[in-house]
Amino acid sequence: MAVLGRSWDGVGGIFEDRPRPTPDVIVFVLVAALMALGSVMVYSSTFVRLDEETGDPTSAMRRQMIFAGVALVAYVAASMIDYRLYLRFPVLIYSLMMIALIVVLFAPPQKGATRWIPVGAFQFQPSEFAKVALIVALASLLTRGAGRRLSWRRLGTALLMAAVPGFLIFLQPDLGTMLVVGFITVGMLFAAGSSFRQMLVLGASGVVGVIAVFQLDVLRSYQIARLAGFLDQASDLQGVNWNLYQSQIAIGSGQLVGRGLFQGTQTRLSFIPSQTTDFIFTAVGEQFGFIGGSAVILAYAILIWRVLIVAAAAPNAFGAIIAVGMAALLSFHVFVNIGMTVGLVPVTGLPLPFMSAGGSAMIAMASGLGIVNSVWRSRSPVSDRPEARDL
Amino acid sequence: MSDRKRADGREQVTSSWRVGVLALLFTGAFAILFFRLWFVQLAAGPEWLEEADQNIVSSEPIVAPRGDIVDRNGLVLATSVPGLVIEIDRSLLPVEVEDDVLQRLAAILGLSPVEVREAVERTPSGEVAALPEFEIDADTAYLIMEQRATLPGVTVRALPVRGYARGSLMGHVLGHMGLPSPGDLERLPITDTNTPIGKLGVEREYEEFLRGTAGKHVYRINPEGAILEEIGTVPPVPGATVRLTLEVEAQAEVERILIEAIALSNALKETQDEDETDPDRTPPPTERATAVVMEVNTGAILAMASYPTFEPQLFVGGIDVASFEELSERQAFNNLAIQGVKPPASTFKAITYVTAMEENIFPEGVSTPEETIECSSQLAHQFEDDSPHLWRNWTFPESDGPQNLHDALRRSCNIYFWEVALSIWRAFRDTDREGMVQDWARAVGVGRPTQIDLPFEHYGILGDRQLFEEWRERQPWRVRAEGWLGGDLMNLVVGQGPIVTTPLQMAVAYASMLNGGTVYQPRVADAIETADGERIRTLEPRVLRSVDISPETVASLRRDLTSVVRSGTARRAFEDLGGLVEVVGGKTGTAQSFTDQEGVFHDSTAWFVGVAPIDAPRWVVAVMVDEGGSGGAVAAPAARAIFQYLLGAEVTPLVAGEDTER
Repeated sequence: MAVLGRSWDGVGGIFEDRPRPTPDVIVFVLVAALMALGSVMVYSSTFVRLDEETGDPTSAMRRQMIFAGVALVAYVAASMIDYRLYLRFPVLIYSLMMIALIVVLFAPPQKGATRWIPVGAFQFQPSEFAKVALIVALASLLTRGAGRRLSWRRLGTALLMAAVPGFLIFLQPDLGTMLVVGFITVGMLFAAGSSFRQMLVLGASGVVGVIAVFQLDVLRSYQIARLAGFLDQASDLQGVNWNLYQSQIAIGSGQLVGRGLFQGTQTRLSFIPSQTTDFIFTAVGEQFGFIGGSAVILAYAILIWRVLIVAAAAPNAFGAIIAVGMAALLSFHVFVNIGMTVGLVPVTGLPLPFMSAGGSAMIAMASGLGIVNSVWRSRSPVSDRPEARDL
Repeated sequence: MSDRKRADGREQVTSSWRVGVLALLFTGAFAILFFRLWFVQLAAGPEWLEEADQNIVSSEPIVAPRGDIVDRNGLVLATSVPGLVIEIDRSLLPVEVEDDVLQRLAAILGLSPVEVREAVERTPSGEVAALPEFEIDADTAYLIMEQRATLPGVTVRALPVRGYARGSLMGHVLGHMGLPSPGDLERLPITDTNTPIGKLGVEREYEEFLRGTAGKHVYRINPEGAILEEIGTVPPVPGATVRLTLEVEAQAEVERILIEAIALSNALKETQDEDETDPDRTPPPTERATAVVMEVNTGAILAMASYPTFEPQLFVGGIDVASFEELSERQAFNNLAIQGVKPPASTFKAITYVTAMEENIFPEGVSTPEETIECSSQLAHQFEDDSPHLWRNWTFPESDGPQNLHDALRRSCNIYFWEVALSIWRAFRDTDREGMVQDWARAVGVGRPTQIDLPFEHYGILGDRQLFEEWRERQPWRVRAEGWLGGDLMNLVVGQGPIVTTPLQMAVAYASMLNGGTVYQPRVADAIETADGERIRTLEPRVLRSVDISPETVASLRRDLTSVVRSGTARRAFEDLGGLVEVVGGKTGTAQSFTDQEGVFHDSTAWFVGVAPIDAPRWVVAVMVDEGGSGGAVAAPAARAIFQYLLGAEVTPLVAGEDTER
């Protein structure tokens, strides 16, 4: 096996010789830019309706900007905190997460699900934070004994650690987030050195699990309907496929350069339910076209690439596995979210990172990236070797 | 690699190839996203854009006001008036309260709930049902508006509605409106099943001009279909005005005279009843009559009346079943001038007359029109086939003395014309000249469509050997096995037997013969004009064909038709014309009474066809009183009154003319 630092010679080599205590500016700029674009997109899809209903066309955007501000503060704060601190309280982190996930089940249901805990004027969504918390907790488990072959026992413990919150999230129900948890876990196990045979067993049990889900009839009827609608996208355009259909009309009508900011009829006239949250990408697609849409995809690709670099350059297994977890989290969200708006994957309620309206996901993901940034900063010889600080 | 310590002493964390695999995986996933986006936005983009445009726009039609129908002088006969119409938007009418709402609406309208439901259910649920049959007045509209809260989906809209200014006047020519049938939707370039179209008469014939083009309001809508703003309005183009060749005044006079003729006929029947010995042959009351006045040198119809008639207004907003059935029972929707086919009887003799003159064919032993034969009371002839051999001259039970062709027309002597038929039979039997009378009849317009600009014209029947052969093939019950016989030709030359025509066909035939051989297409429309009176199209007189008739024959026919009204079968009927009788000519006809297969007795049908002024004919008048009795007694006096009107004389009351040709 290649030593990580050496294998990324071009990257690692440079960094190793050059003290870099500063945060990753590219990540910060990308995150801030996505947040800004998201706020404008939220405005474009709400101002007509809000102006009519309340006379205050900017309220949704303002709310979104507040979240973005808080998220950026969380990002910076998490960057400043030495991530190794979390290694001391993995049980505390995991327990807080579990408590939140249990408490939310007793919250008043909204839209047929219990995903939110009302806190004043805001809605706290534990599952969004749970994903980041689980990444940290799993990383701390997998770090112990890292470098050695991942034992079956540790693998089982990790799976159990993920399965319990996964089941609680399933109860909300939030199938999308449950799948994220699964994907993150598998990704982290892979990064932590699971063997080919272990991956094979995981894959096989995943297939068995999917079959069991269908056989045991645990899916809600709307989930089955969405799946069926996805498989026959031309059917029931006024019903289950309304969202997908209107979403594709919006994105498709944007064509190459888009219909122009505030010019998209689908967005302006609120043809797409949940456009500010799960379907925010349709606002980009309609108004800025293929150029805008692919620019957003490219921005996420760079972001994830930067996180993977951190994984590769991390000074220890804990930091590297956290970074892999965050990369998996972002990739899954971006792929599934944009994929569902263009009819590539079935409709699931996953927010587009830093763009979808809603505070919990934004703050949680920004915190996660902040932790990754903390890993990035710590890998510098400067932070590792106090004597070099004089340089 | 077993070494877990890096060169710098830090612990080995994870293998770089694993991160590389993840990077590849994510790159692959993003590439898929990228290409899918490319497909949706660039490859399929234009189609999605079209859908986006359709998504946000809804349009509501604006009904175009229908064009007016005016008479020759611009007097309005039919127009569009603003009306109030009920509309029911079924998408706003919840199914569970539909029954209640329709019941309440029916109560307001004074209709049965069943009627309302039937009307509403013509429109699929979820759409707007316009109910033009529920035209309402302002008071009812207010009542509905007041109760709007309990009548969800029900609105009152202002729509142009057809209005007929002159009651039943010219009803058959104007026709009427109605909702399009499936057949209409195929025939016409229309899709709107809620807007009435012309179903009969000029309303139907000139639908494309009268209809105009609907406009529309275009709205921007939200996903729920609620209107956000009006994007634009395409104003409707009002229908064009159709100017008729008919005149309101002439038409009114002709219609009045027709009713008078029916009264006269019925009065005569009452006096006859007392003499009648055979109760089975008691004539039924006269109910139907028609008269048409046409310009001889243009084909323009000046008046066309048919009785009984109907009011086109009854159909606006839907005619009620009882009225419709009652009018149907009386055959009120039949325009007898173009649909009433009857044997033309002796009026046809003018055509036989022209044939004799032009073909130089006269009774046996006669070689000029001036030579006479005895107009005896009967004619005995032994055909080689089974045709009857004894022909009774029913007009003249006693011999009427020696007559030449001129006398025979004036006196309507059947014997003379039968002898002409026998001459043809003898000379040309089974040759292509055998049908010379029919050929002449066809040339001047009998047995073929006149091509008048009104729908549903009947063509009549003109029998000959060929037609009988066709019948024997396809409808054998109509003809006897022997086929065409000499007796059939004898019947035909005096307008009986295998011949039926419409009054308009006879009018066209007389006009063609007396104007020197030009056959015009009869027409009721003179011009198409815009709503502002600008002429779009003038319907010029149209010559269908020219027939070669010698001026001598035309002059002779004119002379002899004059003598009919001066001293012939119509003498008494035309007495009231005074000196003007000099300028009128015509021919009476009385189609024989008969008892049909069901034992019902049908009285004679009275005809008169004539022209004036005789030396330079301008008008042809055809009168037909269905089962009205004798042509001389009933039809000729009616024609006389019409001529009085046309020639500017005082129209005097109808008095019975001679009872001829019975």
